[in-house]
Amino acid sequence: MKKLALGLLVATAAAVLGIVVATRDHGPAAASASSHREAPLIAQDPTADNTDLYAFVSPDKPSTATIISNWIPGEDPAAGPNYYTFSPTARYYIYADTNGDGQPDITWQFRFSDLPSPLFLGNTQQKYTVTKIVHGKSTVIGSGLLTPPDNIGPRSTPNYSALAAKGIHTLSDGSTIFAGQRDDPFFADVGAIFDLVAIRHGTGATGGGKDFLAGYAVHSIALQVPKSMLDNGTNHVVGFWTATDRQQVTVEHGKARTHWVQVSRLGNPLINEVLIPTSKKDYWNSQPPARDKQFEQYYSSPILAAVLQKLYPQFGPYKQTGRTDLVSVLLTGLASPKLNYTGATLADELRLNLSIPPTPAANENRLGVIGGDLAGYPNGRRLGDDVVDIDERVVAGELLGHKLPLGDGVDGNDVPFLTSFPYVAAPFSGFDNTKSPTTKTTG
Amino acid sequence: MIRTRLLIAGTAAVAAAAVLALGGVFRNAPAASAGDALPTAVAAELEKGFAAGDTQAEIAGLQGELRLDPQNVKALDTLGLAYQQRARETADPTYYGKADGILHEALRLAPDDLIATAGLGQLALSRHQFRRALAYGLRARRISPTTAGVYGVIGDAEIELGRYPRAFAAFDRMNAIKPDVSSYARVSYARELIGHVDAAIHAMELASSAAVGEREAASWTHVQIGLLELNSGRPHVALTQMREALALFPGYYFALDGTAQAEAGLGHLRVARTFEQQAVAHVPLPQYVGFLGDLDHALGSQVEAKRQYELIPIIQRLLAANGVRNDLDIALFDVDHGIDLPHALVLARRGHAERPSVFGDDVLGWALARNGDCTAALHWSTRSLRLGTRDPLKLFHRGYIEACLGHPDAARIFYRRALALNPRFSLLWAPIARKGAR
Repeated sequence: MKKLALGLLVATAAAVLGIVVATRDHGPAAASASSHREAPLIAQDPTADNTDLYAFVSPDKPSTATIISNWIPGEDPAAGPNYYTFSPTARYYIYADTNGDGQPDITWQFRFSDLPSPLFLGNTQQKYTVTKIVHGKSTVIGSGLLTPPDNIGPRSTPNYSALAAKGIHTLSDGSTIFAGQRDDPFFADVGAIFDLVAIRHGTGATGGGKDFLAGYAVHSIALQVPKSMLDNGTNHVVGFWTATDRQQVTVEHGKARTHWVQVSRLGNPLINEVLIPTSKKDYWNSQPPARDKQFEQYYSSPILAAVLQKLYPQFGPYKQTGRTDLVSVLLTGLASPKLNYTGATLADELRLNLSIPPTPAANENRLGVIGGDLAGYPNGRRLGDDVVDIDERVVAGELLGHKLPLGDGVDGNDVPFLTSFPYVAAPFSGFDNTKSPTTKTTG
Repeated sequence: MIRTRLLIAGTAAVAAAAVLALGGVFRNAPAASAGDALPTAVAAELEKGFAAGDTQAEIAGLQGELRLDPQNVKALDTLGLAYQQRARETADPTYYGKADGILHEALRLAPDDLIATAGLGQLALSRHQFRRALAYGLRARRISPTTAGVYGVIGDAEIELGRYPRAFAAFDRMNAIKPDVSSYARVSYARELIGHVDAAIHAMELASSAAVGEREAASWTHVQIGLLELNSGRPHVALTQMREALALFPGYYFALDGTAQAEAGLGHLRVARTFEQQAVAHVPLPQYVGFLGDLDHALGSQVEAKRQYELIPIIQRLLAANGVRNDLDIALFDVDHGIDLPHALVLARRGHAERPSVFGDDVLGWALARNGDCTAALHWSTRSLRLGTRDPLKLFHRGYIEACLGHPDAARIFYRRALALNPRFSLLWAPIARKGAR
């Protein structure tokens, strides 16, 4: 959920080096007062940008697990002709660590290519290949697969749900895949998060917030695999992360073979945005989880706790250092209560205990484990898990017995999720686009 | 992307709130203007930011935030960057001074602040103060050697200081840390400088691909590809790239200027003039105004041309008054247009001392040649081509100098090389080259 920039840390993130961060409308600058070439210094790379990762035991098919990884934050359905697609020059990954050593045991690689388009900037449908790598052995388990086109509008993309359904494919190992544009399932009241006035209205536990992501889309890869493929048979815990690589180039070109560099990664939500300091953000993105011990201090002494102290001193004090509770939730899994502990190796992974059955929809608690619902975050992450509220409360000290009803007032997504694969809702169409929760309709 | 927008807008509130201002239901407030109660204004700005940015409102919000807490480093950082953004949007250089003051204040409060340090480096680059930019870039690298952007500041400065191996090493490092539009674009420029045009186009295509969804960046990359194509003798391909740039970001001045150049490359001077006029209307950069004057001149409108040319010293004075070192740019314009040549040579020498790049070499050589010192000119012109850059203007200058020295055969070779790259490389000089190439 990089997109959500919960605050100053994020602010710095994008600002990273300063320079031209601003907006899509006048982003990285080109010309200035002169003859010297000003290339963008801090442009964003939305198509490589992991926004959110979800992993849960499939509620309608409990013999399988579903992993959903999203990219391209803030797709505006009406931004034509700036349509969105996966990048054909990037490589997309989902990783699974089944034995807790921080190394990938199963890797899924996704490579997309554009289809020839008769229209100028027109075709958003893409072809892709899925390669599974197990212990160094690569197998192509799907090729020539098609994404649905983006939801442009009723003329270009009529009957969008049916179009999108054709984007569900069966892979040669029996798994199921979907890749393409979806409604952004993340929800948060960005305005309130930034709003000092919020303090006057209590702690945000009473709802009434506004989902700033309502009406925006992302690109999702959803993968449904048999639990048997992931289950190690002992503690039944599998850790996931996702990443994007881009090709490295050098000035003196054409000699060595191509190297690929990891430019984005994501396990638990909000880590790079909220916990990792500005000066380490590029580095954190480039590193594998197996080396996350080097970042331990940022998890154990979260700046966010100091922020809470400043914002809500009346509810403090908050423990600002030595937060072994956060280290275990985010880097090893929870041993006590016995939930998803994977051993001593510190690795930022989204850990899912496959032996915990899905909670029936009617009984799901958006607060997941701290709400008494063991099938939710931080045991994997369901689409409806309210990670903003959960993170605020856990950082405030929920697991240390310091329980505060913090929240952003947005308790769920603006549109319902699907009850079956790929679960993420259809995107709004560009034609209908209003980005207002009261008037829009889904395709 | 969303985030980005939030960022700048967000920092304001955040700054004071210090991040994650949890909680809250403020939602019923009507959309506020920036002058209203601050947090509301900022939140409204955020909301608006999803659709369209407004740097002015962001600046107002940040200023308000700083009135509440003048020591808020993050707000200072962001305001310093927002002023730079505004300078780019408007070509009003008075924003440079504002950015300078604000970022220095941030550094005073937090001497190791990465954003303020790198931001001052970027600001110095914009003002062509390349030694200063390098110093800030190196400081930023000490603060964070793993942040890709610091190598962009360092490499950009080294390029203009003429230290190419160091510059290329910085760009390679930047791309190794983070292949993205910023680092691909720099590798592309380096490849262009060493004359590997196809490889430069390839790197810029990667940049373009990595900029999808960021429309100004994406549009910018298409313009750059277009310019590379234009100076490789493919004006039609160039025009296609410029059209794509304009489709991605209608009204983008950089794409308007690129389109004008491509149209001129096809000999469509009236169409070119229409586009350049639009670019000038957006941002009156001296090089745009000069090109517009050249187009008027070529179209036979001497009165119009004179009017454009007369604007240039005024704009340059405004830039200089705001800390922009523009001696080389002024020298090039004056030499090209026959204005006070001895003074232009003084400017070229001074500019070259500050900016001993192949561009500086070229301008100095050209100024010497037009002042009649073709022997000295040859040295600098040769130096300007030492990287192997396939730049028709530099090649033309070399040809002119060879002719001046009484080497018609050598002159012919360089004129032909310039014309082979782009038969219409310059409204002023391509006709001279054509004559000399016969």
